[in-house]
Amino acid sequence: MILPDAELLLQIVDLHARVDDQPILKGVNLEIRAGEIHAVMGRNGSGKSTLSKVLAGHPSYRVTGGSVLFRGEDLLALPPEQRARIGVFLGFQYPVEIPGVSNLEFLRVATNARRLERGEEELDTFSFEDLVHERLQVVQMDPAFLARSVNEGFSGGEKKRNEILQMALLEPLLAILDETDSGLDIDALRIVAGGVNHLATAANATLLITHYQRLLDVITPDFVHVMAAGRILRTGGKELALELEQRGYDWVDQELADQELANQGAPALGVV
Amino acid sequence: MTAPPNALSEAPGGSAASLGDLVSQPYRYGFVTDIETEKIAKGLDEDVVRLISAKKKEPAFLLDFRLRAFRHWQKLEEPDWATLKYPKIDYQNIIYYAAPKQQQDKKASLDEVDPKLLETFEKLGIPLSEQKRLSNVAVDAVFDSVSIATTYKEKLAEDGVIFCSFTEAVEEHPELIERYLGTVVPSNDNYFAALNSAVFSDGSFVLIPKGVACPMDLSTYFRINSGDTGQFERTLIVAEEGASVSYLEGCTAPMFDTNQLHAAVVELVALDDASIKYSTVQNWYAGDENGKGGIYNFVTKRGQCRGERSHISWTQVETGSAITWKYPSCVLQGADSVGEFYSVALTNHRQQADTGSKMIHVGPRTRSTIVSKGISAGHSSNSYRGLVQMGPKAVGARNFSQCDSMLIGDQAAANTYPYIRSQQPDAAIEHEASTCRISEDQLFYLQSRGIGFEEAVSMMVSGFCRDVFNQLPMEFAAEADKLLALKLEGSVG
Amino acid sequence: MVLASPVSNLHSAWASRLLEGLPAVTGDLAELQRRGRAALAATPLPQQHQEDWRFTDLSPLTALTPRWRKACPELPSDLPAPAPGTLRLWLDGRGDPLAGVVLPAGLTPLSPAELDGALGHSLAAVGCEHHWPVQFNHATAGRCLALRVSGPEPISLELVSAASQPESLLPLRLLLLLEEQAELELSQVLLGSGSSLTSLVLEAHLGRGARLRHAVIALGEAPACLLGHLAVEQESESRYQLSTASRGWALARLEPRISQLSGAAHTQLTGLQLAEERQVAVTHSWVRFEGPDGSLEQLHKAIADGQGRSVFNGAVRVPRAAQRTNASQLSRNLLLSPQARIDTKPELEIVADDVRCAHGATVSRLQLDQLFYLQSRGIDVELAANLLKRGFCAEALQQLPTAAANWRPLERLLRQGSPLGELP
Repeated sequence: MILPDAELLLQIVDLHARVDDQPILKGVNLEIRAGEIHAVMGRNGSGKSTLSKVLAGHPSYRVTGGSVLFRGEDLLALPPEQRARIGVFLGFQYPVEIPGVSNLEFLRVATNARRLERGEEELDTFSFEDLVHERLQVVQMDPAFLARSVNEGFSGGEKKRNEILQMALLEPLLAILDETDSGLDIDALRIVAGGVNHLATAANATLLITHYQRLLDVITPDFVHVMAAGRILRTGGKELALELEQRGYDWVDQELADQELANQGAPALGVV
Repeated sequence: MTAPPNALSEAPGGSAASLGDLVSQPYRYGFVTDIETEKIAKGLDEDVVRLISAKKKEPAFLLDFRLRAFRHWQKLEEPDWATLKYPKIDYQNIIYYAAPKQQQDKKASLDEVDPKLLETFEKLGIPLSEQKRLSNVAVDAVFDSVSIATTYKEKLAEDGVIFCSFTEAVEEHPELIERYLGTVVPSNDNYFAALNSAVFSDGSFVLIPKGVACPMDLSTYFRINSGDTGQFERTLIVAEEGASVSYLEGCTAPMFDTNQLHAAVVELVALDDASIKYSTVQNWYAGDENGKGGIYNFVTKRGQCRGERSHISWTQVETGSAITWKYPSCVLQGADSVGEFYSVALTNHRQQADTGSKMIHVGPRTRSTIVSKGISAGHSSNSYRGLVQMGPKAVGARNFSQCDSMLIGDQAAANTYPYIRSQQPDAAIEHEASTCRISEDQLFYLQSRGIGFEEAVSMMVSGFCRDVFNQLPMEFAAEADKLLALKLEGSVG
Repeated sequence: MVLASPVSNLHSAWASRLLEGLPAVTGDLAELQRRGRAALAATPLPQQHQEDWRFTDLSPLTALTPRWRKACPELPSDLPAPAPGTLRLWLDGRGDPLAGVVLPAGLTPLSPAELDGALGHSLAAVGCEHHWPVQFNHATAGRCLALRVSGPEPISLELVSAASQPESLLPLRLLLLLEEQAELELSQVLLGSGSSLTSLVLEAHLGRGARLRHAVIALGEAPACLLGHLAVEQESESRYQLSTASRGWALARLEPRISQLSGAAHTQLTGLQLAEERQVAVTHSWVRFEGPDGSLEQLHKAIADGQGRSVFNGAVRVPRAAQRTNASQLSRNLLLSPQARIDTKPELEIVADDVRCAHGATVSRLQLDQLFYLQSRGIDVELAANLLKRGFCAEALQQLPTAAANWRPLERLLRQGSPLGELP
């Protein structure tokens, strides 16, 4: 929902980043306010997954320019765990398996770290179990998964549900969901999307990263951004996604070429 | 053992804050008790062996046992196949018997024990007095060469369980000692076992009579106090037909610049349907960052599943000692007997560990499991060395071994030397080994969920060790977790 | 403290008897011969208290009385025809295998000066120049087949040797220099029967990007024995693919030793050995990575039947320089008789942290549920067992060069009786 005077949660200005000395982000600008749902779309290699990793602070990604403020605070200066504690959540495209580490224990430690940051009491084992069982319903997940090791032997859909369960427990202010729809069948997609919708409030915001319309059929975005060559090329409402669906991404190339021509080598700025 | 009872009540896992407290204190058992000690002169010859035996007023068969061992030891050469690096040990520069003055004679009751000793064990987390003692564990406390006190002896005696110091057992049950001593680890078994057999001072003796499930866990706590004393304890545990017991062993020592030798022998005997579970959390002083000081832990531990369907299980968490040389083993003689070995060995700084297990399958349908987790950090070296052997009569026998190594930093060594031998076609052996490190992706995943770096590392390490910790008695498992975090402090990142 | 025990007396008598009968040192290898003979006179035979020889029963070797006599008078007539496009060379340990042979483009013999510079280089690189079997070979070998491989065209070479005369000795010494990007398929067939001893030492240096597919098909008949060392140096981006298969020798001990000189190369070792009757089959492999990004894929399979003994020792060394090494090793063993024995010992030494190293070992008989499945389809138990054995062996013979496959090693390994007999 777009609310006037809503709090500005995220402000990205001219963000540049590299992986292995390869520039991937080349000047991203984006603002997200509380209550909004944004979708970033684009082809593989357009930089959208890199954007999510940079926001979460993955060590392999090096920021070479620009700034990111989260509620006015310099997000890039914080270690990844601190970003999570203050309410930035990344739902991974490929959640890793961590053999030997119990899912329940992992969820409890993570939840308590966030609670402490918010000035709330840590939950003991029993109260946490109550909480986790309540939140399991958001993603209709079998409690048996709690007893297993983190993501170990989970199917693709189970891993994604486990991601949304974590989101339900951590109650982030900004949830970045990287290709959450990939590898999901239609039922799993509906459950995951239902979870995301359920968790969306006027106080928080969601940034969906996807390249298919099908996720946006079930989660309605307020803004759609098209990313290409490391920048946000165009921004519109939900109709932009439909346009992409119909016309494909080819027009993006044309537009890129046009922009290059217009800028004549001047630094390209995204359209906000 | 690092399981001080005051920590037992804490929830497993521990909060970040309590971990922080622990981390600030690298080795907290490094103090020395100032107590008048009676020591014999340094050096080892036949007279010293006779002197030790005389001090303990031992029967002739035991002196014979010691002398035979000593004469054999003189013919042996110190083994070097484990390629451990340490300066040559001068066996003439070690004191072979040290006892707190008042303890020379048998204590009639706890009231007569020097309060300084009671205080020492209380500081180590092992209160011995009637009021404070642990409710669910009986403890035999060994200080240098002698046993100070054994708790709950009378209560255990009601069930016919014998739990006492080795010295007492020699006095009160010489026939049992004569029947079982040296039957699992013969006095000529290896260099260090022979040395122990010649000069062993004290230790624990346990006998669980036929059909009895021991009503509480039994535990021996070994404390080396003197700087120039070797510790040579001897433990003998016998579980008669259908009996069962869980036994815990713990060890600490003060921090000295010099190295102390610890050469223990543990023998376990399980008769038909008996079961012995032996757990160790070893936290001897490991020496400093540069490898100065620390215990040389050269230990022979072996269990014999003598009876049918008997079961012996070793669980060890090895975090201390400058050098560990230790292969808790099972001889699976009785048909359908079961041997298990679960081990976590963590080395940091300049520590060296060469540890593993031998599973000797003699009888039919015997089964064994080996799960070994080695963590090498700093400049340390951590080797798994083991043997699985299927003898010609081990029809239908099975073994599964898993040996995983985790490397932290690029200066530490992880080695694996499994010997696998089979003479029985109808036996199956399966061995798996892998090496891993804590991956950046896994750490990042945990960090991205708000878990701090150090805590993320210790979660990963304890996850890696989970299969072994699950085998430990509850209170030990939580402590072992913390101990690892503590020992790894500063080794990552 | 070295005291002359009755055993080592016997052993030194064995060596000195052999040394006495050798002709005077001569030819390109004179210096090597001199050193080898001196070493052999000074070193006793390996003994089982040495870790490397702990499980190798040397009695089949000491039962032989090898003398300096020709191991095989002439090329056997019943060999399979050479595979098309393959150059076959006959090695009798005496004559020049290149005499009268037109070498294909890209294959040139080394000059005596080049040979002098290259000899022993790979042996030193893999740390085995002082191993007893190597010294033995040096003491006795009078000739070295030394070839340089160059050019873009893949070359297929087949080396055949046969030792059949009683109390004979066949020393084979080979040296291969593969230049950058050169490609060679080398099929070695070693045949041995009677009370003969075959001693093989091969050195190979693989230049950057070079590829060597190497097969050693060792078919013997007790009491013949075989000792072989394969010392291979690999520059980066080279690929060395070795398949060994042995059966029938009273004692066969093969030691492939590979050093990836600066990592970033690929090594694939596949071994298959059968030990039946009272035979002893031994493989000791050793792979060391001297630089990052190297990989090893190793599969060793063994079958022990009758009173046979199979030994495998697989050492993998990953020092600190070898970050990102990816090494896997699997030892799979079938133990088919209650008098047979299997010893297997993977050996991993790692100092680098960012590596993926795994090894595994299994020892068992044929899987009963698989046997039962075949039986339940009407196959009798013996045939079912043979099918399973065939499946077990076939996996290790999948990637043979054509010339080696031409020998139908699977049939020879599985046929009743000697592997040297006629195939239907």
